[in-house]
Amino acid sequence: MNWDIANKNFYRQGLRAFLNVLVTALSIIALIFMLSLLNGFQAQATRNLVSTDVGGGHYRVPGFDILTPTEWEDFTMTVPEVLNGLTAKDKAEVLIQQGQLYPNRRLFPVQLRGIEMNQSLLHLPLAGLKSYDDKMGNMIPVVVGVKMARKAHLKKGDTVVLKWRDKGGAVDARDVLVVDVGDIVNPRIDNGVVWLRLDHLRSMTDRDKEVSWVAVREYLGPVNGFEFQGIDLLMSDLLALLRQDRINSKILWGILMVLVCTSVFNTQILNIFKRQKEIGTLMALGMEPGRIVRIFTLEGVLAALWALVLTVFLGVPFFIWFQGVGFDVSHLSEASFPIRETIYPDYQPREILVSVSIVLALIIAAAWVPVKKIIRLDPTLALRGRAIT
Amino acid sequence: MSETLITLERVCKLYQVGEENFTALNDVSLEVGKGAFMSFVGPSGSGKTTLLNLIGGLDRPTTGSVLFQGANLENMSRNQLAAYRRKNIGFIFQTYNLLPVYSVYENVLFPLILNGQKENDVRTRVEEMVGKVGLRDQINKKPAQLSGGQCQRVAIARALVKDPLLILADEPTANLDSENSRQILELMLELNREYKAAVIFSTHDEKVTRFVRREVRLEDGKVSWDKRSDGTEVES
Repeated sequence: MNWDIANKNFYRQGLRAFLNVLVTALSIIALIFMLSLLNGFQAQATRNLVSTDVGGGHYRVPGFDILTPTEWEDFTMTVPEVLNGLTAKDKAEVLIQQGQLYPNRRLFPVQLRGIEMNQSLLHLPLAGLKSYDDKMGNMIPVVVGVKMARKAHLKKGDTVVLKWRDKGGAVDARDVLVVDVGDIVNPRIDNGVVWLRLDHLRSMTDRDKEVSWVAVREYLGPVNGFEFQGIDLLMSDLLALLRQDRINSKILWGILMVLVCTSVFNTQILNIFKRQKEIGTLMALGMEPGRIVRIFTLEGVLAALWALVLTVFLGVPFFIWFQGVGFDVSHLSEASFPIRETIYPDYQPREILVSVSIVLALIIAAAWVPVKKIIRLDPTLALRGRAIT
Repeated sequence: MSETLITLERVCKLYQVGEENFTALNDVSLEVGKGAFMSFVGPSGSGKTTLLNLIGGLDRPTTGSVLFQGANLENMSRNQLAAYRRKNIGFIFQTYNLLPVYSVYENVLFPLILNGQKENDVRTRVEEMVGKVGLRDQINKKPAQLSGGQCQRVAIARALVKDPLLILADEPTANLDSENSRQILELMLELNREYKAAVIFSTHDEKVTRFVRREVRLEDGKVSWDKRSDGTEVES
């Protein structure tokens, strides 16, 4: 019977009930969309970082710090046997050195990054370097990323002076030829980075078989003389950024939920104010106050359930459509996010279930809090419509 | 006098109005027998509705006792009072107080469902009761589709359907024209005879007093006189 009364009263509210349901449904859709888009963003950004730089982790020379260029030359080591024996699809040897580029007579400090040409672990647009052999000619072939090219005013075919120091500390300088401007999705291996063949860089710096790190497909256990840095550590800055994004989304969602709950709360307040006589009548007919509270709360539950239905009705087609078209983030190419292509939401059923359950619980609480005062209502005043003023 | 249904013993009811105390009932004592058909009459503010509310367990006296078949309502919890009303009392209000979302049938059915009965078991009784108040043709209509007189008939059917021992009717004819008032009162008298439920009106409608068998006049919260149709008259 409780359900029957609640049901009929809910429909009697008409447009007010519908608007509440609509706002709640839209909020749930916005919540799922926000979370799924963030998941998609995180998944794609992670994928891009992994495929261009991180792999399954780095075996690094202990003490090497990518943020301390002046020490790069001090932290190189010969590739250990256990890593040397890995196939080209399971590892990528990388040597990092510092240098100075002189485009248009300007000094441009750069990171010289040498990488094996036969590796297939990391996906980089370095095909232009592959056509050269391990013997350097008069010109050293290099590839730069689009951002780097724009910043240094370089283009394919340009020659520019590069200065570096070899292992003995001697400064050397040669012309380098920009054989390609690569479209690198990961900005941290584009800006300020000059890509070279590993054999060329080793030869230039007199560091035969030396690396700064070896990227591997998966952790192989401790390797003597090297320290392993996993994906989480290597992507800690991105993960921190995404964590912050998630917090920001939750704040936004919290504000949205406050609005939804306020709307439900307000409707319930209005309900009990307008229906005091009905409450008094139910009491006079012998209904326990607790049961009346349950009926009014059920009306809130009904609103939440209908919101769920409407969410499915409106949200599912929208989510399916959006999964097809995605979200254009080409504007992020100027930012420091390792992502540039269209983002596709990543819908995670468990996350959606938990989030929707939280929304429903909040709505039911918002429906219950204002009506619990019915327990203490004086029936004689309620019958006269004066119990709540 | 027939078996006692209600006993009021030195009942006082005070209300706080701002910083002042307002005395709604002052030392009222009376008894109501089973099957009574009586009215509380008096001007506005004389305490009629307060008395009905106390008898109906909707309110509690400040001092004194209200006994229903010897049981003191004072000792009952809120839920026990609700059960007392559910089982024993039928209410009829001036403004009908029908549940607007329910049809005539559902409004009359409601007290029985509240008492835990199954609709299938009581459908005939509900239809019979609606027929008794002359609304068989309107059984599926909502209160908003009925006239005031028809609404009050529904309220009477709702009050009687659970076969209560007592019906409390608070100004039941106040919102009706004289013809409808007469019909309602005749109907209630007829039903009182048929169902043996005691009926107590609170009213200041002179027409009501012509129908009742006992008239208790209240003035300033006190019983000023208690007149019965057998000629017995007690003046306080």
